Amino acid sequence: MEKQLEELQRTFLEDLESIRDPEQVEQARIAYLGRKGRLTTILRQMGSLSPEERPRIGALANSIKAKMEQALAEVSARIASRQSVQGIDVTLPGRVLRRGSVHVINQVMAEIEDIFRDLGFQVASGPEVEDDYHNFEALNIPENHPARDMQDTFYFGPGVLLRTHTSPVQIRVMESQGLPVRIIAPGKVYRCDFDITHSPMFHQVEGLWVEEGITFAHLKGVLYEFAHRCFGPEVPLRFRSSFFPFTEPSAEVDMGCIICRGAGCRVCGNTGWLEILGCGMVDPEVYRFVGIDPHVVTGFAFGMGVERIAMIKYGIDDIRLFYDGDLRFLLQFA
Amino acid sequence: MKIGYKWIREFVDLDAGALEAAKALTMSGTEVEGAVRQGVPGQVVCARILEAHRHPNADKLFVCTVDAGSGPLQVVCGAPNTREGMTSAFAPIGTDLGGGFVVKKAKIRGVESFGVLLSEREIGLTDDHTGIMEIEAVCEPGAPLGEALDLEDWVLDISVTPNRGDCLSVIGIARELSVLFGCPLKTPEFSIQEADIDVGSALSVEIVDTRGCPRYAARFIDGIVIAKSPFTMRRRLFQSGVRAINNVVDITNYVMLEYGQPLHAFDSTLLAGPAIVVRRAREGERFVTLDSVERVLRDTDLLICDREKPVALAGVMGGENSEVLPGTTSVVLESAYFDPDGIRRTSKSLGLTTEASYRFERGVDPGIQVEAANRAAYLMERHARGRVYRGVIDVNHLQDTRAAITLSAGTLERVLGVQPPAEGEVERIFTALGCEVRRIEGGWSVSAPPFRPDVEREIDLVEEFVRIHGMDKVTPELPAFRPTPGGVSRPSLRDLRRSLAAMGFNEVITYSFISPRWKDFFPGDSLRLVNPISDEMSLMRTSLVPGLLGALERNRRLQTRDVCIFEIGRTFHPVEGAGLPREEERLGVLMSGMRFDQHWSDQPRQVDFYDLKGLAELLIPGVTVRPSDLPHLESGRQGDLVLDGEVIGCLGAVHPSIRTIIDASEDVFVLETVLGPVIERRWKGLAEIPRFPFTWRDLSLVVDEKIPYADIVREVESLGIGEIRKVAALDVYSGEKLPRGKRGVTIRITYQSLERTLEDAEISAWQERVISRLGESLGITLRG
Repeated sequence: MEKQLEELQRTFLEDLESIRDPEQVEQARIAYLGRKGRLTTILRQMGSLSPEERPRIGALANSIKAKMEQALAEVSARIASRQSVQGIDVTLPGRVLRRGSVHVINQVMAEIEDIFRDLGFQVASGPEVEDDYHNFEALNIPENHPARDMQDTFYFGPGVLLRTHTSPVQIRVMESQGLPVRIIAPGKVYRCDFDITHSPMFHQVEGLWVEEGITFAHLKGVLYEFAHRCFGPEVPLRFRSSFFPFTEPSAEVDMGCIICRGAGCRVCGNTGWLEILGCGMVDPEVYRFVGIDPHVVTGFAFGMGVERIAMIKYGIDDIRLFYDGDLRFLLQFA
Repeated sequence: MKIGYKWIREFVDLDAGALEAAKALTMSGTEVEGAVRQGVPGQVVCARILEAHRHPNADKLFVCTVDAGSGPLQVVCGAPNTREGMTSAFAPIGTDLGGGFVVKKAKIRGVESFGVLLSEREIGLTDDHTGIMEIEAVCEPGAPLGEALDLEDWVLDISVTPNRGDCLSVIGIARELSVLFGCPLKTPEFSIQEADIDVGSALSVEIVDTRGCPRYAARFIDGIVIAKSPFTMRRRLFQSGVRAINNVVDITNYVMLEYGQPLHAFDSTLLAGPAIVVRRAREGERFVTLDSVERVLRDTDLLICDREKPVALAGVMGGENSEVLPGTTSVVLESAYFDPDGIRRTSKSLGLTTEASYRFERGVDPGIQVEAANRAAYLMERHARGRVYRGVIDVNHLQDTRAAITLSAGTLERVLGVQPPAEGEVERIFTALGCEVRRIEGGWSVSAPPFRPDVEREIDLVEEFVRIHGMDKVTPELPAFRPTPGGVSRPSLRDLRRSLAAMGFNEVITYSFISPRWKDFFPGDSLRLVNPISDEMSLMRTSLVPGLLGALERNRRLQTRDVCIFEIGRTFHPVEGAGLPREEERLGVLMSGMRFDQHWSDQPRQVDFYDLKGLAELLIPGVTVRPSDLPHLESGRQGDLVLDGEVIGCLGAVHPSIRTIIDASEDVFVLETVLGPVIERRWKGLAEIPRFPFTWRDLSLVVDEKIPYADIVREVESLGIGEIRKVAALDVYSGEKLPRGKRGVTIRITYQSLERTLEDAEISAWQERVISRLGESLGITLRG
């Protein structure tokens, strides 16, 4: 009889597994615990037991009955909770925190900074209101030189102006810091020019590496590394000879158009190339202003417009979008 | 500078097409910004006007019989130069002239017309629309015009860098191409049939200021007949964007474009003498230039004068008093070299830039004055029937003092990082560039030609070498590096941006210059631009708030009313006696509209002062706020941000009159602080983490309305009970249940010890002390 009870418990547990709804719970209760149920049927045989066995089997039977009842109650509760109509509507919108965003220019600037940091550059800064000496003269752009026409300058008065490029930071760093110099200088610059591709205020990142043994080949190496990390490892570059008063030789760097991949499109003006930065070997004349011996030391400098990089990267065609604070634009870069 | 490609090809034996040439120029530093093909529609043909009669019904029209190769056609034409026997350009019916203009059969005042006779402008050859095109060349009627006159061409738009004055000419560009493609340069060959009268008998030249004008060459030509220039010349000028005027003026411009040497022609009958005297202007001297503007000169400006008066502003513009006009018959032709700095000074101070001044500033070839004068004289002889006097007056004080430059092979390697170039390559490049090159021990000795004043140092030779050799031949190489000391790195600024973004704020970047309309609200000195884009962008900001308000204004106009934005940037503050202003990095925050997006479960709520104050407390640990009185904020709802006793910024509701200006009906809250305290994190050492439980007591206080909450906290803290962890405001209430002038404030004081579990009795004792202190110092009572 003990065996019968154990067998009963086993099959009960098996049956329990397949119970899915309250009706099945009731059926199981009747089948096992009902008046004509299997447990009752077994207990009816109690009479055939010896008086010594009766209390032990009786206790066993009772405990099994209790377990069965409890198990059925649990199953029934579980089913009930699953089917409850008092649950919440999980499809209603959640309480979302409002999204904010870091300005896309600062995102791109951070990306550029990270790349150059990995290449060993440090970040430097300088004033936005500059003097003529640092913005022009020490960069080998003397007064009355036609090169001054390359940049339309905002003036406050004689000799005080809004910097037209981040290059004065080069001078300030070389004045104050020993060699080697390896810096980038991100920041705002200003030129009197205003249309869909020119803003009177925009951002540049200037780079400078001055150290014995630095060559034009190194300049190319560093800029290739930058372009490949910023725009992808396949992107081609071309170095075009150019002129800047503070570098010689000077070059403008074009990147293969990332829109048409060189085939020619509206963005690259059908040339297949996009101009991304200017660079060159620091002109010996500049070293003279900061007291470095150009016969021993060489170096390169480069400068890029952050807006230009951002416009290429994200397909933005109007530079004014960066400055008017329209949240519908800004939030796209969240 | 725009130049027709055929013109360039006259000066260099080159097989390359225009686009190939453009690419080579661009790569070598003379950027071709555009190359535009110019042709003539294929159906436009040469046509001969066999007959021309007055139109029966219109005075100004002609009815012509035209031979355009396929039998006589009747064509009505209104051009005043229409005449029998002339050859012109003709577009038969069906010709597409571009711009949606297709020639159709027409009936003009009752007479049928089977095509159109065309002006040069209508074919896009020049801007001449005074009559139909006159073709002087012999050509077969019906021959396609483009082929007959060889009109297919490209116009290159060339951007010449400021150091390359020598490239501001056809010959300069041709010279570059000859170097790049290794093919010979051709200079024009011509000879003048000089008259038997010496130039010296007709003209004298004296240079008073030899520094401003080291060289002055002149020729004298008479017998001139002013007329229209030949077609080819006018077309080339048109391609270069120079307006054709008459043969004499056009020739001076044409030769300037060819040789890069600006020329000027004076009507010699208007010159007293005739003589030329080159002198400085007197301070304040007045002179009327060709454009009929009276200029007030400075004593640094250079004048070309005759015996009595100024006749030209040297190197910039001629004078009205000696201009070549239709009646001119004799001219003095000037071909001079002026000091580049002087011309630039004059051009700058007068705000007057001309083709001539642009070239003189950048340095013309000091060796070409006589040749350019000869070329122009030859062209005047040929195209203006001029009689050229014998000889050239050439007053020349120029001396070529430039020494040869040494280029060492080591420098090439040290600067460029390239292997030594193939034997002969350096010589080839510099010879082609017009230099004299000599191999010397360890390098080369190079003498630059006079037209390259920019080549004067070894580094200039390095540049010339790599520019022609090809930058693409330098193999990129990543240098090894040692870490550099010092430097400023600002990752915390990036963290701040990300934190604010995570809190729902959008970063904006606004212009550093603002409108003077903000001046009243932000008193104090500010910097003013001398040459702003507009008055609205003329003052350097002393606060970030105007920019934020501008961004809000714009968003509200675009139907975005819930605006939470911030900006990190500099403000500019003039410093008495210092050259440069103080620049301060700041953080500005603006909040307006609903605090949270509408949600079905919550009551919507507008942002308020305490939203922004909470942000300040979160960003700047230890900051406190005390009432302030700033003009851009609303009285009674504003405060200074104070940290360690120092005012670092302010916050509050924007003044209602500003809200009117930017058309904001709702409250706008702004915060502005110097950036330092926001991003600096001062580590004060690790605090002990409490192991014993805390407990708290709430007190409902009745407080005089005038007592700020901060006073209550300060009094509690002043008791010096070390176990008080925190005092918090649970509720602030004012209403009818309280006496007039009072408000209810419920505070919660949290107690905790680092050493033991606190007992009720000691907490009760502290509570009594708190209550009595608040009563004594601030007259605060407990609510009943």
